[in-house]
Formats: sequence, C-alpha cells, structure tokens
Amino acid sequence: MNADNPIISIQKVHKSFGTFKALDDVSLNVDAGQKVVVIGPSGSGKSTLLRTINRLETISSGSIVVDGRDINDSASDINRIRAELGMVFQSFNLFRHKSVLDNLTLAPIKLKKTPRAQAEQHAMELLEKVGLVDKAESYPVQLSGGQQQRVAIARALAMNPKIMLFDEPTSALDPEMIGEVLEVMVTLAREGMTMVVVTHEMGFAREVADSVVFMDEGKIVEVAPPDRFFDNPEHKRTQRFLEQIL
Amino acid sequence: MRDKHVVIDVGDGAAIPDPEDKGLFTAWRISFFGTLGIIAYLLIFRPDPYLDIIKFLPDGIVVTFQVTFASIGLALVLGLIAGLGRISKNTFFNLVASTYIEVIRGIPLLVQLFYIYFALGHLVRVPDMVAAIVAMGFCYGAYMGEVFRAGILSIDDGQTEASLSLGFNRSQTMRYVILPQAWRIILPPVGNEFIALLKDTSLVSIIAVSDILRRGREFASESFLYFETYTMIALIYLVITLILSKILSNVEHRLSHYERR
Repeated sequence: MNADNPIISIQKVHKSFGTFKALDDVSLNVDAGQKVVVIGPSGSGKSTLLRTINRLETISSGSIVVDGRDINDSASDINRIRAELGMVFQSFNLFRHKSVLDNLTLAPIKLKKTPRAQAEQHAMELLEKVGLVDKAESYPVQLSGGQQQRVAIARALAMNPKIMLFDEPTSALDPEMIGEVLEVMVTLAREGMTMVVVTHEMGFAREVADSVVFMDEGKIVEVAPPDRFFDNPEHKRTQRFLEQIL
Repeated sequence: MRDKHVVIDVGDGAAIPDPEDKGLFTAWRISFFGTLGIIAYLLIFRPDPYLDIIKFLPDGIVVTFQVTFASIGLALVLGLIAGLGRISKNTFFNLVASTYIEVIRGIPLLVQLFYIYFALGHLVRVPDMVAAIVAMGFCYGAYMGEVFRAGILSIDDGQTEASLSLGFNRSQTMRYVILPQAWRIILPPVGNEFIALLKDTSLVSIIAVSDILRRGREFASESFLYFETYTMIALIYLVITLILSKILSNVEHRLSHYERR
C-alpha cells in the first residue's frame, strides 16, 4: 500500500462535548506498516482522536476511513472493523472473571469460531512473545500492572489485527514496569505492525516512530519525523511543550 | 480501580454469614444449633403434641419450596429483562421497565396477591398455585430488576470498551463480559431476595395454597394448639432460612475465586 492509499485516513474530523471542542478539524493519514506516535498535553484531544479510529468515540463531522471502509457509514459492520483494530488501554481492562488464557481466547473462539485447541495454541505463542507463558492460568488480579498490560497487548494480538492502537499504555504503570511493556511494543513495531500510539514516553517515540504528531487544544499542531520533531521543531507551541517535558 | 469492591445492600432477607469468619461462636452457629436444639428438645420431651405437629407439616414444606423456586425463577427472568430495560437507551423499552418497577413496588405484596388471584380468576381459571407464583414472581421481579441494574452498572466501563474493541457487539459484551461479572456482585442481594421471598411465601397461605403456614393453621384450628403449632412453624422457617443463607455464603465464596490473589 502506498502513500496515496493510507490504511487509516482521518479527514476534517470535528468532535465536541457540549461547547468544548475536543477535536477541531483534525486530518491525519497513516500508511500500512507506519508507526505514528501522538503526543501532547493532557486534554489536547490525543486520546479522543485515537478512540475515534475504532468508534469508541463518535465524531460530530468529518470522515474516518480504515482499510477502505468508512467506519461511520451505517453500511459498514463496525464490529468487523474493530476486530481488525487491536486496542490497548491505559487501565489494561483485562476481563477480571477470566484467566489470562481465557482472556486471549474468548474473542477468537466466540467471534472467529476458532477451535479451542487452536485458539489456545495461538494464545500460548502470544504469551511466549510477551514473556508470560507461566501466567496462563492466573487471573488478572494476581498480576502486576506491567504483566497485565502485556497480557492486554497479547489479547489484542490474538485477533490478528492489521492495526494496533495504544492509548497511553504505560501511564498507569509504576516506573519500574514501563520498560517491560515498551519492550513488547518495540518488538511489535520491528515486526512491521501498523501502530498508532498515544504516549508520554519520548524515548519510545524517538526510537520507534516514523512520524510524531503533536496535538494541542483539539488541533494537530505539527507532524514530523522524530529526529526533526525533537531536535528542530517548527512550531513555538511544540518547542514550549518539549522544553517542559524534556 | 482494581480494588473496587461493590456492596449492594438490599437487606430484607436473613444475614448471609461471612465465610471468612473463623470464630467458633458465630451468630449463624448460635442460631442454627440453638434452633435445632430446641426442636430436638420439644420432640423428645414433649412428643405430644410436637411430634404430631411436625408430622403434619412436610407437605407444606414441599409446597413452600415449590412456590419459592418457581417464583424466584420467574423473578430472575423478569428482573434481568427489567434491569436491562432500565439501562437501555431505547426509550420505549426503558419506560416499560421503569413503569413496571414503579407500579409493582408501590403496591403491597399481599394486595398484589389478592389482585392477581381474583383478577386472573375472573379472566381464566388458573390453579391457586399458579396465581401465587405469578404474583410473587412479578413482585420480586421488580425488586430484582433494580438489583440487576445496580450490578450491571457497577462493572467498570473499561470492560465494555475492551470487549467492543475486540469486535464483540453490545449484546455479546453483556453476555460474555458484563453479566458474568455482575452476577458475582448481585449474588448476595439476589440471595437475600431469595430468602425474603421464601419467607413471604407464607402470604400465599391466604389464597388457599397449602404451604407450611396453611398446613399449620389447619392443624391449629382442629386441635386448638395455636401456641405449639406456631412455635414449631417459626422454628422450621428459621432452620430453612439459616440453611439457605449458609449455602448462599458458600456459593458466593466459590464464585469469588478470581478476586483472590
């Protein structure tokens, strides 16, 4: 897929909560295989933007096309589109009543009708990938935050998504656990997964991103490759933000 | 968020014993073994009339349980529908459920019992037992609806979002993710309602259903042993509710396995 045919195409999207403009004329394209990192101060609309991509947030106007399908068109099957968009949340949101293995196999078994044995085998491969094979039979409450988030990534991958969305995946973690989650994400990026990541981890952005998006007050202020973004930002607002956090 | 514990206290049934309470003298043990002791004492040292009374009651106990189980089954189904209706964004469904709950909760159970018994009697000829079950089921369904609603709403929105993001639709999310977790939270109040319902089935004795209380009244009116009969009836109700609350406490403990570290 080339630059003329992005896998995610966000065009002139507006979203308001009452009089508050959460997204104000936002346009952004993501190509297949690209890693886009979205940063910005809290309340800038970056999480809202991410959540509009799988329609967890509806938009007021504009269009969002994912893999050739307009997600807000009533003719599109949103559930089918969501199955191709893996999502990782700040608060993990593992199914508390299910073991780690069952968290991973629930959707493939129920939605894709994958035979249990096959789903479990795939799940174990994914747990191996995130380094948690020995936790397969544990319940989420028995895991640390970092472990839960790695399971959450594996759960999203169990549906073989084309795109992974990360909504501040390390913000709820104790500092010593951030590394283990980022490591999994870096591996995933190296394997060529298309990723949109909302994060405050600038080291990750610099290492992994093809493109860094800076948002403020519901608008995209600047989009640039990481070296130019961090070393030579164009906009005053971006410069000020980077000075504050770096 | 991980440590969120939700307690819904409807408090109408018997107290559910705490499974973690390892003391020798718990309220449950004192009540249960005390009651058994009194029954044993009466049967051994005052077999006349207590042995005669207790021999007369088993048919009534069976009927009480039949009414209780059938009513709770109906109440759970109605409660689930009413609870889902109360949180539904569909205005019509929501209004129907809310109105049902408002109306039913505003009428005393005994009045509902009479009303359904006689109203149904006018329209169709139904057995007394069916009228009793319909009335009890509809009444408790309204209370159960509120329990279901609270239980469902107590589950973190993140669970719904995670489920939707995997591709589950709303009803699959409810079925596979929300209800299995809500069930754990609503089990204590549902258990309470169950025990409260069992006690309230004593009201059906008024509409010619031969439950424990009606059997007792029949015995008392023939023998004039009112005090002795009602003593035995109270003790039997107490033994039953204490056993049930113990069972519920154990089930609850087992269901909570995924909350334990």
